[in-house]
Amino acid sequence: MAHIECPLSAAASPILRAKNVHRVLGSGDLANPVLRDVSVEIRRDEYVSIVGASGSGKSTLLYLLGGLDRPSRTDAAGAPIDPPSQVFIDGQDTNLLDDAALARLRNEKIGFVFQFHYLLKEFTAQENVCLPMLKLGRLPRPEAMARAADLLARFGLSGKTKRRANRLSGGEQQRVAVARALANEPAVLLADEPTGNLDRRNSDLVADLFRELAANGQAIVMVTHDLSLASRAARMITMDDGRITADHPTAGVALPVAPATIPHHDGPGRGELPDDRDLRSDAHPFHSRRA
Amino acid sequence: MRWFITIRYLLSHKRQSLVCIAGVTISVTMFIAMTAMMNGFTDKFIIETVESSGHITIKDEPRETRTPILERAYPDPNALLALSNVKPRDTVRKIDNPTGLLLKLQHMPGILAAAPEVFGDVIATYGTKTINLNIHGIEPERQVKVTTIANDMLEGGLQRLGTTADGIVIGKGVADALGARMDDSIILAGATGGRTSARVVGIFRTGVTPVDYSRGYMLLSRSQTLLGKKNIVNEIVCRTDDYERAREYATQIEGICGYRTESWQESNANFLKIFDIQTLITYIITGALLVVAAFGVLNILIMAVLERVNDIAILRSFGLSRWDIGVIYTLQGFVIGLVGATVGLGLGKLAVEGLRRIPVTLEGLVRSEGLLMSEHASQYYLAFFSAIIVVLFASAYPAWRAARYDPVEVIRGAH
Repeated sequence: MAHIECPLSAAASPILRAKNVHRVLGSGDLANPVLRDVSVEIRRDEYVSIVGASGSGKSTLLYLLGGLDRPSRTDAAGAPIDPPSQVFIDGQDTNLLDDAALARLRNEKIGFVFQFHYLLKEFTAQENVCLPMLKLGRLPRPEAMARAADLLARFGLSGKTKRRANRLSGGEQQRVAVARALANEPAVLLADEPTGNLDRRNSDLVADLFRELAANGQAIVMVTHDLSLASRAARMITMDDGRITADHPTAGVALPVAPATIPHHDGPGRGELPDDRDLRSDAHPFHSRRA
Repeated sequence: MRWFITIRYLLSHKRQSLVCIAGVTISVTMFIAMTAMMNGFTDKFIIETVESSGHITIKDEPRETRTPILERAYPDPNALLALSNVKPRDTVRKIDNPTGLLLKLQHMPGILAAAPEVFGDVIATYGTKTINLNIHGIEPERQVKVTTIANDMLEGGLQRLGTTADGIVIGKGVADALGARMDDSIILAGATGGRTSARVVGIFRTGVTPVDYSRGYMLLSRSQTLLGKKNIVNEIVCRTDDYERAREYATQIEGICGYRTESWQESNANFLKIFDIQTLITYIITGALLVVAAFGVLNILIMAVLERVNDIAILRSFGLSRWDIGVIYTLQGFVIGLVGATVGLGLGKLAVEGLRRIPVTLEGLVRSEGLLMSEHASQYYLAFFSAIIVVLFASAYPAWRAARYDPVEVIRGAH
């Protein structure tokens, strides 16, 4: 795969890279190939959205890119996958890392934001933001707490730092979750339907927040089924049935757009036709895989 | 960070945490109080027995009983032996040359003093009351060196045996049973026809009930006459410099004299066995309490894990490893064990002091004023560490379950 950028520039190497990634959920008769030979690269300053129908594998791809999940070594039939699936985070092959090393990498380089599962309910907003910093251990606790308060203030939550997470509104919780994801100045922010559970006003708030972060050079990968939200990203990846079917810059955005460095998977296949899974309700994309 | 999360989790479920801690506390407190009480009685019995009966007793019999000569000649169990009307040889049981043996004992290392005794049962009568009395014939000046009988006198004294020719010193129980008081004369009748009257010149109470209710001390020579055992010595009682080493001294003496020589442990093996069983039961009961407490911890930690599955997924997403998650739940168990055991030590100490002050008089195997509490540092250590270790074991399974959750499955909604 040829890189166009100057090889000497550190910023030129992709922060996340998936190479021939397969992911099979379940086993035996229930084995379900969720990702089929997906390759993608995310650069260090990109704002990327991944769209696709429920069950297209977009969330799974996000978890794999963030090192929360690992690619499969065997396909649905149990045969080893060749060439093997590989995910690189900041150049490190996650296949070579054990659980603790991968956790450390997530702590240092990745910030996750989810649709539900926002916060630890028994901790205050400030403590929630503080915890990843305490885990990283670079800042002593008072400084970490101070930085947490600063981050919350940046997101308009300065009055609620001491409030328990379960006593914040949904929009506030999601903003605290974004602040927490940014606590360790991650190389990339991975958001899985960050507005999926919010009302219009709060959705816009979070969307504006993301655009502002992206404008300041924060790499973001966002999974969403909201096309208007997705179109605000500089690059949009479309997935269907476990494959990337389109990957192109979006129209009318000010951010620089990187040229696609991987071949598109827009060959023939089931991707062209609406899958039966696509007809199902998309309200709870997390649960669709369980069917 | 792990401690921060652990403490917050425990504090946010205060009531469950307190119930768990209380369970551990109760078992530790009970363990300390019960073992202190058991040890108190055991120690009291040992001290009283050892000090009033002597450390080592040399008996007037060989260790092995003699087998009939015919059986020795034909040891094959299938040999056909027919004997009828076999009578044992009519020997008088005694220690040969007691004076020589006493001299030898004087020069043995570790043996502080030795005193000869003759003993036998007589019928004691006073007025209309009659009881069995176990007469010990002693030499008072030697006897006070091997036992603490002189300290157990309620009235009169052992030395008066030397000044009153027909004196007898009896246990408090014997005196009460006969209704005899100081200076009363009681009638003694031996099994071989000896008969005499004796004046009560002392009453003792050792605290060991069987002794107080059956024993009388008289001069050696008068006892020999009464019991029909002229110049016979049945026992030599020794005092050692360390009663814990009585067993090894007894073995040495037996090697020298050939007579069966019992340490106090051997003489009281039945009682000591009862104490062992008693101790075992105490351990089982308090151990069961601890196991119940541990199940409480297990139960509450499993609930805590199930309740916080989302937390586990979030913590894993921002960088905690499986190990970190396991540690957080193990630490919760550890804190419960530590706090419960520490409070239990304090309450255990208070319980020991409180029980010590209960004003009751107990008369069983030994007599005591108030409950006897004997504390050993080892009991406190044992209670403390076993509680923590058992609770840690109980938290291992919830911790393992917590660590096993796959964050992606949780986020997908599988849990």
